[in-house]
Amino acid sequence: MDQVPIKSVADDHGHILVVDDDPQIRLLVTRFLQRHGYEVTGAPDGRVMMDVLARTTIDLIVLDLMLPGRSGVELCRDVRTTSQVPIVMLTARSEESDRIIGLEGGADDYVIKPFSPRELLARIRAVLRRSRTARSAIESRPSEVITFDGWTMDLRRRELQSPSGTLIDLSTGEFDLLVAFAEHANRVLSRESLMQFAKARTSGAHFDRTIDVQISRLRRKLEAVTNGGHLIKTVRGSGYLFASDVRVREGHSV
Amino acid sequence: MKTLTQRVWPDTVASRAILILVAALLAFHLLGFWAFRVGFESLATASRDRGLAERVVSIKRAIASTPDAPERDRVAHDLSSASLEVHWSMVSLVLGNAQATKRAKVMEARLKELAPELATESYRVGFADDGALGSGKADAYRHMMLVSVRLADGSWVNFSSSTLGASQHIDWSVVAITICFGVGIVVVALLLLRWATRPLRDLAIAAERFSLDQTPQPLPENGPIEVRRAARAFNTMRERIQRLVTERMQAMAAVSHDLRTPITRLRLRSELLDDEATRVLIDADLGEMEAMIDSTLEYLRGGISSEAIRRIDLASVIETIVDDHIDQGHRVALTELTAAPVLGRMLSLKRAFSNIVGNAIKYGETASVMIAEANDQLVITVEDEGPGIPEADMERVFHPFVRLEESRGRQTGGTGLGLTIAGSVIQTHGGQIKLANRATGGLCVTITMSKVGDTGAHPSGSSFGKSAGQADHQRQIEGIALKVR
Repeated sequence: MDQVPIKSVADDHGHILVVDDDPQIRLLVTRFLQRHGYEVTGAPDGRVMMDVLARTTIDLIVLDLMLPGRSGVELCRDVRTTSQVPIVMLTARSEESDRIIGLEGGADDYVIKPFSPRELLARIRAVLRRSRTARSAIESRPSEVITFDGWTMDLRRRELQSPSGTLIDLSTGEFDLLVAFAEHANRVLSRESLMQFAKARTSGAHFDRTIDVQISRLRRKLEAVTNGGHLIKTVRGSGYLFASDVRVREGHSV
Repeated sequence: MKTLTQRVWPDTVASRAILILVAALLAFHLLGFWAFRVGFESLATASRDRGLAERVVSIKRAIASTPDAPERDRVAHDLSSASLEVHWSMVSLVLGNAQATKRAKVMEARLKELAPELATESYRVGFADDGALGSGKADAYRHMMLVSVRLADGSWVNFSSSTLGASQHIDWSVVAITICFGVGIVVVALLLLRWATRPLRDLAIAAERFSLDQTPQPLPENGPIEVRRAARAFNTMRERIQRLVTERMQAMAAVSHDLRTPITRLRLRSELLDDEATRVLIDADLGEMEAMIDSTLEYLRGGISSEAIRRIDLASVIETIVDDHIDQGHRVALTELTAAPVLGRMLSLKRAFSNIVGNAIKYGETASVMIAEANDQLVITVEDEGPGIPEADMERVFHPFVRLEESRGRQTGGTGLGLTIAGSVIQTHGGQIKLANRATGGLCVTITMSKVGDTGAHPSGSSFGKSAGQADHQRQIEGIALKVR
């Protein structure tokens, strides 16, 4: 039984830079994150942000998309030319194209405005954990596209495409579960470790249902393609196994 | 009958103009024909009568110069022609008491003028039918002009001239030419009128196509003055409407958008509250506000989205929505196909179907969703067990901000945009959405969308089977009452 050990990381530490032009929101986010143990610096625009980045070591940037002067997307690209510091974007729900551009500009995750502070906290924790494990591991950055049996998963856009190029809609929980499976293919995963892996990616609020229900739903959606439902195999008494040849591709999806 | 008439003779400007033209032509021709006949006839009669008078005078002289009686009769016969018969006799053919007509008087005057010597002698002018003289309707039978001139010895020279002119019968060739002219003019007029009314037609087409969604395409301001003016007025009006709507939309979008910042602040502030119960309630209210803003912004976009059109498995979209409702403790049943590929925009479709399913649960407590296939079409039905919608309101519920609370008899939140958005999304995807009340009570929403075929073009589609889409995989999911929040 090849169980993957889960490293427990202390997430609630680090220096976060909050970039938002609304002073109230900046103050409230700062206070909120400080209460959860983070060191927080605020910046009203890109100029101050660059200034802070030049002087201090920042672990994560919370970047508003709509900023006076240079927009969040442009700032994101600017930062990416020099640094790999994780960035969480704040975007509006209606601006789907902005979100995509933001992610392609190098943001690690996004939170839709108006966001709940706990959701933001969860995303910050997840992104920090991911970047810290990635730093210690061989791969420098999380892969962007995963393929298996003709299926394509775009981790940035959170999209799953069937071999025929059809988009399959997955809930957040289902997507995280499938990523966990794909990242640990051909290994038996216990329910607990699956839960841990999937939770590591997002807030965990989506995991109210038991893992079995999630897996049955995921299987049902994979059935859009013959044998798709058989990718996830049940290993009696110990958990589940994702039987496929998974390839990781860097770069943008089709 | 009316439609047939309309089809044969449509009530257009051109047809009206042609009607006017034909009527004018007809009137012109009839008047012309009448004037021609009257004028020509009087002219012909005058010249004939003059010739007649001249001949009468010369024949009378010739006969008068002949002394003996048999010789006179022979000369009279010799001088006769088809149009003028001459007889010499001892009596006058024209009775002395014959009524003098206008023409007879004219003839008398002419004879007097041509042969002044006749003035001294006696002569009579009259009319006679060929032997029908003296009958009651004498006027009608006067086809023959009779002139009797008394010679010096008291004998008479009788002239009878046929007045039946060639113009008495209708000249059909003239009529045929007139008709040809008329037809020719109408054909030319038809072509010219079509050309002349084209600017009007263009104006009408542009007005029909006028839509606020599209980028404004100003109408060309050309053609006749009236059409130019109409086109200019139309352009101005459209610009005004466009500006009005755009301004309102922008104001609405700006307000909706700007509300997000205070909502974000409120969310952050509520986090500082110590009272957990109040915080949850505030969060719920804020969630509702967010949903309203989202749907308003979605409606303002009018189904237009920057999202790319892709192949989407509609079954998975609906599954996610149904599963989410089941997780929230709602009773939702799903009968579906394994795959339902459509071409569309993911977020728009998600919103449309979650609005429809959400409505069913909101008003009907339960929802029964079914995905089926019929002739390359996907038919999605969403049924509930609610009160349904009165027939009269079936159309109205698709209008923005229309809520049928009064008939539903209970307070349910929302902006009245759910079905409006769903309807416009389905329509922009080339689908149809229909509402119907179920016989057993409740509403049935039917959405028809065209299914996209398997492209099979994907290089790595090795494990993709054609039969997958066909397999009518039925499964029932009964939601369990599981309180999440």
